[in-house]
Amino acid sequence: MPIIEVSNLAKEFNAGRAPLRALDDVSFTVDKGRFVTLVGPSGCGKSTLLAILAGLTAASSGEARIEGERVCGPMPGKVGMVFQDPTLLPWKTAFANVEFPLDLRGDDRAARRKRCAALLELVGLTEFAEHYPHELSGGMRQRVAIARGLAQDPQLILMDEPFAALDEQTRTRMGHDLLDIWTKTGKTVFFITHSLTEAIYLSDAVLVMSPRPGRIIDTIAIEFPRPRELDIIGSAAFGAIRNHIWHLIAQAH
Amino acid sequence: MPQRRIIRTIAITALLAAAWEAVVRFGLVNRIILAAPSDIVLAAASDGGIFLRAFATTLAEIAAAVAIAWTLGVAIGIMVGSSRLLAAATAPVLSSIFAIPLIVLYPLLMAWLGIGPLSKVVFGAFSGFFPIALNTIDGVRAIEPRYLALARSIGATRLQTYGRVILPLALPAMVSGLRVGTGLVVIGVLVTEMLASLGGVGFLISYHRTLFNTGHVYFGILLALTLAVAVNIGLTRLDRRIGNWRLREQGEE
Repeated sequence: MPIIEVSNLAKEFNAGRAPLRALDDVSFTVDKGRFVTLVGPSGCGKSTLLAILAGLTAASSGEARIEGERVCGPMPGKVGMVFQDPTLLPWKTAFANVEFPLDLRGDDRAARRKRCAALLELVGLTEFAEHYPHELSGGMRQRVAIARGLAQDPQLILMDEPFAALDEQTRTRMGHDLLDIWTKTGKTVFFITHSLTEAIYLSDAVLVMSPRPGRIIDTIAIEFPRPRELDIIGSAAFGAIRNHIWHLIAQAH
Repeated sequence: MPQRRIIRTIAITALLAAAWEAVVRFGLVNRIILAAPSDIVLAAASDGGIFLRAFATTLAEIAAAVAIAWTLGVAIGIMVGSSRLLAAATAPVLSSIFAIPLIVLYPLLMAWLGIGPLSKVVFGAFSGFFPIALNTIDGVRAIEPRYLALARSIGATRLQTYGRVILPLALPAMVSGLRVGTGLVVIGVLVTEMLASLGGVGFLISYHRTLFNTGHVYFGILLALTLAVAVNIGLTRLDRRIGNWRLREQGEE
């Protein structure tokens, strides 16, 4: 059953004199419970597409549906967001940052605290609950942001290059742990990256986007068995998929 | 240790006061120019009640003016700062008004509102308003859009976004405006009292100056200084509290 349905989506920006076409006739679906990644060159409209799915930007034409409902604004109960920058509130502890969406929603205090404690445990930060963002490493901050994205228990998590600012080791570790979180929670993850390795390692399917105006030029199923070990990254099969995607993007230029 | 320091401070003060008293007593300086400490004590003893009532008047005027300047400065600053159009239209006007010596407008206020406390409150609030509004505008303009995207994605209402995201993020910048603005309120109230009024510490200073009651003038100045120092201590506390948090924010990058 699809949780995301995108059909004939287009987006134009009125930048100066000539309108800028960011997305052109984008259509795809993502099934419930899957981990799907969108890759493409910088500036191809990946983030624009994600912003439309998140209800933060309106499409120029076409439509996006989430759980069958047409997206025309943020759906905090259905969609959790994780941005490239953790965007934590600096005056709140890790715990209070995770709690913030539930606090705004007016959830009962006891239920809220219980849920946040469980989420911090899920992302491995129980010991850091009372730390402020500036006391946490980049990876830890992004873990807090992931826990916050899960706070309202949405079925879908949208992630916009969440690990792009991290060093390679932390990034690899975060990817591995994200798969763990995904398995435990059974959520659907729609993930954006321009790292092909990250995309292939994490995903059930990789959507490949062309340079601007962004179109989906191919969908590649990734069939490595799960749970996946990091070793697969060095395998010949992995390299073949990586080359294939790379050629797709290069040809589209 | 602190006990010894207190004793030392008292001793030095007493010594200075004695020297000061001696300088005046032995006629080294004209009594009209420099009142002896004993003259000040005498002024306090003879007219202490009047001064106390005047002090209360001034305090009430300052409190009212500060309340108005803070409320309007913050409210208008947030409103203007959140709208690019409003900011572009009004910020230059506000900055240029801030740059002129507002005291030249006081005769107008006096003509409109009389020489009672109302004109003092309005003038004080008016002079304090500009730095507060300008700093608040800057603080709000400097908030990165990602925080607003976050607020929308977690379903914050407009009021929650203003109160729990925008306001706290702008607070560090606002505090410097509050400092300057509050200082200007104190100056504004005291100066206008001295120019034309029927009450307040400023009025008494001015009144006794014309009568060459130098002891009374000095006592009035002492009261005004006490007030200014008290206000400054309060503001420093506020600044320090929010300063801690400014450091935290820098840690978050």
